Amino acid sequence: MLNIRICVGTYCYITGGSDLIKIKDQIPEEIKNKVTFIGSACLGCDEEKETSKPPYAKVGDVLISECTEEKLLNEIYSQLGIER
Amino acid sequence: MLQETNKLFIEVGSYQHNKYGNLVCGDSVLMHKSIKENRTIAVMSDGLGSGVKANVLSTMTASMALNFRIRREPITRTAKTIMDTLPVDSVRNISYSTFTIVDIESDGNAKIVEYDNPSLILVRQNKIIKLDSKNTIIESKLSNTNSENRIIKLSDILLQKEDRLIFFSDGVTQSGIGNWNMPFGWGDEVNEFILDAIKDNIDISARELSRKIVKQSELNDILKPKDDTSCVVFYVREPRKLLICTGPPFTEENDKYLAEIVRDYGGKKIICGGTTSKIISRELNLDILIDLNNVVSPLPPSSKMKGIDLVTEGIITLGSLSSILEQGTPKNLDQKGPHWDMFRMILDADIIDLVAGTKINIAHQDPTLPVELEIRRNVVKKLASLLETKYMKTVNLKFI
Repeated sequence: MLNIRICVGTYCYITGGSDLIKIKDQIPEEIKNKVTFIGSACLGCDEEKETSKPPYAKVGDVLISECTEEKLLNEIYSQLGIER
Repeated sequence: MLQETNKLFIEVGSYQHNKYGNLVCGDSVLMHKSIKENRTIAVMSDGLGSGVKANVLSTMTASMALNFRIRREPITRTAKTIMDTLPVDSVRNISYSTFTIVDIESDGNAKIVEYDNPSLILVRQNKIIKLDSKNTIIESKLSNTNSENRIIKLSDILLQKEDRLIFFSDGVTQSGIGNWNMPFGWGDEVNEFILDAIKDNIDISARELSRKIVKQSELNDILKPKDDTSCVVFYVREPRKLLICTGPPFTEENDKYLAEIVRDYGGKKIICGGTTSKIISRELNLDILIDLNNVVSPLPPSSKMKGIDLVTEGIITLGSLSSILEQGTPKNLDQKGPHWDMFRMILDADIIDLVAGTKINIAHQDPTLPVELEIRRNVVKKLASLLETKYMKTVNLKFI
């Protein structure tokens, strides 16, 4: 199972995190049973970088900044080793 | 950690039912809670007759009694003024309206004034305690009134924890009159009913008990009450406490302090804020679980943490909560969302401890953000003032 963490902290949520949560319900059939979606209060990114770029999500151990549906799916497919 | 308040907490609740077929109630119940003096006053008056005329009489009586009491006017003067002011009924040729005044001070001293309403009941340790009261005759300028009718009953008692004071209009004691099992009405049997109701549910709230008594009198009259029915209940009890923590402390050294407040709090607990919940989770070694299946837009979802009753996002949720509070209690309380969960918990609480961290999240000040995010300190201050003035809650606000 591949863990996908989506930040639902205030900053991430209003800059696009709210849309990222919706991907959970539209996930393609071929990977549906291979991933788990987990919410996170804050992935702790704001403090690490001077200029943080929300929203954040984490696929496995890979942190994605300015995350979009496209970016997130690409990362999931590449980590699962499936051709998109 | 937080300041402990050992003051007696007094809950007041009332319920009314109109005489069958009447649009307005001939009884009036008015209450006043002074937060500064920690004083609670309730007044009930039963106007002569029923309908609009009775309503006018009882409203006049109750508001005079309440306002005189707030200003601590002498009781005899209050009673005399009320009796001499009321208009004379054109049919019965008397001016008349009953009243009961209960004034409870912060130390538990209660002053009770009764005029022609059914006797007030004090329930202590599930027994009815007889009040030691003295009678006073109110002199009248009007010669045609019978002085025997103008006797007021004064009692002073010191209330203890778990005491209940119950008083009602004669609609309660006279309910069911003429029924085979209560030919003279419910009368003193209401006492047994009250004791049974308390035995069934030892923590029954003032609001619930008053409702139960009025509903039973309505049943006694087979759902067609023959008179206006009102009941007021005072309940002296341990206050229900609620802690709302929001925002990270200004300095990191205080993280531990915040966590200890949360851990040691005796009452319900709410944490608002992603970073705040992270701090608590780290310091107390508790896991945060966010349920992504339970998203009620436009608010970020709430999470679960062991021992914490509610964990939500911070500033957006608090903003929505404050707009609910501003609009006043709606009829439908079963709406979904973390802000509604918070609202319901607030309604059930008596003392609310607000602990606000003052560290500013610089990212939130970014002018390009699609939503305007307020500064936490301002939102919390607004919440505190709303809860105090509009919802009569005792609020302790602490910035860390």
